[in-house]
Amino acid sequence: MISARTAPVSPPATRDLFGSYEPLPGAWDELFVGPGEARPGLRRPLGALLSTGADELASAQGLAERSLLNEGVTFSVYSDDRGSERIFPFCLVPRVISAADWRRIETGLEQRIRALHAFLDDVYGPQRIFTSPRVPAEVVLGSKHYLPQLRGVVPPHGVRIHIAGVDLIRGPDGAFRVLEDNLRTPSGVSYVMENRLVTKRVFPAKFAEARVRRVDHYPARLAELLRGVAPEDDGDPLVVVHTPGPFNSAYFEHSFLARTMGVELVEGPDLQVVGDHLFLRTTRGLRRVHVVYRRVDDAFLDPEVFRPDSMLGVPGLMRVWAAGNVTITNAPGNGVADDKAVCALVPEMVRFYLGEEPIIADVPTFICARDDDRQYVLEHLGELVVKAVDEAGGYGMLMGPQSTAAEREEFRRRILAEPRRYVAQHRVELSTCPTWDPARRVLAPRRVDLRPFILTGRDGSWVLPGGLTRVALREGSYVVNSSQGGGSKDTWVLQEGA
Amino acid sequence: MIARVADHCFWLGRHIERTESTARVLQVTGALALDAELPPVRCWHPVVIVAGQESDFIERYGAAALGDAELVQRYLVSDEDNPVSLRRSVAFARENARTIRDVVSLEVWQTINELHVFLGSEEAEAMYLDGRDGLYARVQRSTQLALGLLRSTMLHDAPLDYVWLGVLLERVSQTARLLDVEHHALLAEGAAHPVLETALWLSLLRGCSGSEAFMKRNRGKVTGAAVAAFLILEPRFPRSVRYCTASARDRLAAICAGDDLPGSRALARLAALERWLVDLSPETLHGGRVHEVLTYVVDEAHAACDAVMSELLGRGAREQGGRESTQPQSQSQTQMQK
Repeated sequence: MISARTAPVSPPATRDLFGSYEPLPGAWDELFVGPGEARPGLRRPLGALLSTGADELASAQGLAERSLLNEGVTFSVYSDDRGSERIFPFCLVPRVISAADWRRIETGLEQRIRALHAFLDDVYGPQRIFTSPRVPAEVVLGSKHYLPQLRGVVPPHGVRIHIAGVDLIRGPDGAFRVLEDNLRTPSGVSYVMENRLVTKRVFPAKFAEARVRRVDHYPARLAELLRGVAPEDDGDPLVVVHTPGPFNSAYFEHSFLARTMGVELVEGPDLQVVGDHLFLRTTRGLRRVHVVYRRVDDAFLDPEVFRPDSMLGVPGLMRVWAAGNVTITNAPGNGVADDKAVCALVPEMVRFYLGEEPIIADVPTFICARDDDRQYVLEHLGELVVKAVDEAGGYGMLMGPQSTAAEREEFRRRILAEPRRYVAQHRVELSTCPTWDPARRVLAPRRVDLRPFILTGRDGSWVLPGGLTRVALREGSYVVNSSQGGGSKDTWVLQEGA
Repeated sequence: MIARVADHCFWLGRHIERTESTARVLQVTGALALDAELPPVRCWHPVVIVAGQESDFIERYGAAALGDAELVQRYLVSDEDNPVSLRRSVAFARENARTIRDVVSLEVWQTINELHVFLGSEEAEAMYLDGRDGLYARVQRSTQLALGLLRSTMLHDAPLDYVWLGVLLERVSQTARLLDVEHHALLAEGAAHPVLETALWLSLLRGCSGSEAFMKRNRGKVTGAAVAAFLILEPRFPRSVRYCTASARDRLAAICAGDDLPGSRALARLAALERWLVDLSPETLHGGRVHEVLTYVVDEAHAACDAVMSELLGRGAREQGGRESTQPQSQSQTQMQK
């Protein structure tokens, strides 16, 4: 009791870790406004977290990593022919989003998905939007993910983007912007839930104090959505998750989703089309399948329609879908809307279809298929980030400011050869978040992005409060992809009034 | 249930059981060798035969190496090219479990995955170098835990029936091979010293987790004929050939319930083997007859296993479908073989 008056409340060592954190000049930091100075709105909810010392964090971090390894929360590494797996690197220091910021993200994403739905209905229907001079038909119809065979097909209940993942980044002004959409088979949601489980296990009190919105009801919401979009209302629809197989890098997630929803995980050869319906081959004969949550790309879905060499798909599946006898989530053909060149047109879609202004802005994008854009890009290669429209995972990119003359020359050649394949953006100073550096035992500012997940069914959209925060673990890196040395963090969306 | 999933369940069971059995045999043999009454080759050669790897081992290291305790143990513990080493068996079990991660329970998956991570760790290597008894004990405990968790955390439904069918068929062959190899060696040596002979029979019983159960049944009288009769025919010992055959038949009957369903050929085969065992008189089990009986058991169990695979697990008919490429390559080599 006597010592309580004289001794500091927290021992000096614990002040050091967060107290000595220095945000990166010129970037928005998610937790801090200045050296050692947490954002005012976060000081109360993060009180316990901010007093964590280096020893405590190091041991909790070790515990978290061991737990992820023992649970097999891993992804496969393609380059390794033994099919080996790694844990997705995880940093225990969370990314925190205030209730007010989240409200804006939520409404902005809901608006965006509405516009994208209208666009897909239009592109695979009357194609009205090409009357707008700002949306050139050749950019849209030139996308390799546009599937002209599907024009005129209306999916069951009219839903196309059942599950979306939209990548957001935050610039130095603190505003969120859309970097790109993932409207085909967005992945990462299993890590959102696993990261949360681990965080609650190793930091129970710090987590409870912050009053964070829960994420663990996602599988139940998804299962309800999938059953709700089944083609007919005749009782209990059979839902399956369709995976390319155990060697796919996202297999962990496929089996996670099947397991948490209590549905079958199937591979292509487990399914069979008989007549106009789809069936599951079981040890007791065929069972009718109503909904396929596929994690297989369009091109591999049906060898009769797309790639004839596909072993992953189901011959005749598209026929069953066109007849309205099976729901495929997400609907085939969505790739035309998340093509990186078409993505740049979403603000136009919002205005054209909804008569609204976009709530979340896009990162301004130069489409090399447009003459003046291309001219600008070629003249400013050293300042821009150039991306191939059909690549993902951080591949096929030129980071202008960090590039060599030879790399720039290579991209100049590629752009001139195939302008439709390239877009460019100014490099955004991605926001940072304090991140544990195990070698130096300090917190260092590292770049982050955010992938929220949006579920859309017959009754509209719902945004999972949270999302996957990816972090570029290497100092100075802007690339957050797991295949390029990225890791992840738990994302804490604070409750209203927290 | 999907045939591909049933296949993974079946092999999951077999690899878990095989891992446990191999670890126990290594532990028991290590203890036997410590008494130093037998030349090393007499201790370790049978272990390689029971693992079904005699020809592979000799091809790689030569017959003389069968007496090299260190080499044999390294081969059966961590050799990546030996498909039945503990390391590979656990890796196969784990790969099957990972593929059907949505079917096995979280507890089962964690137990198998932890064992897999452990066997690749420095901790496991340190335990191997430091006496290794603890390592063998830990592998057995983890696999026994997995077998218990399968029953206590999963739906008692078709997937579990397939896992258990795999466990039981593997166990039939393990018990039969252990007994056959040991029986053959003792017979070939002629009359050994009675104390040593008793020690060898007890060691064999321990290798089947059966020494205490045997004593309860036989009131301490350890003879070759009694041990053979116990391990083949005892209806209440969960590792006897008869018990495992009957239990496997029960599992298969549950899987094939219903008249027109596939699996009837496999079921008929197992049922016939069980009837044959029930009719077998213990008095006839001596001398060369034991080897004859065990050969028949192993062949019949193997045939039943083939029938299960072709009738129920879609092996053969669907092999063009690309499924083989997603299976650990050497699974076919872990079929029962004498």
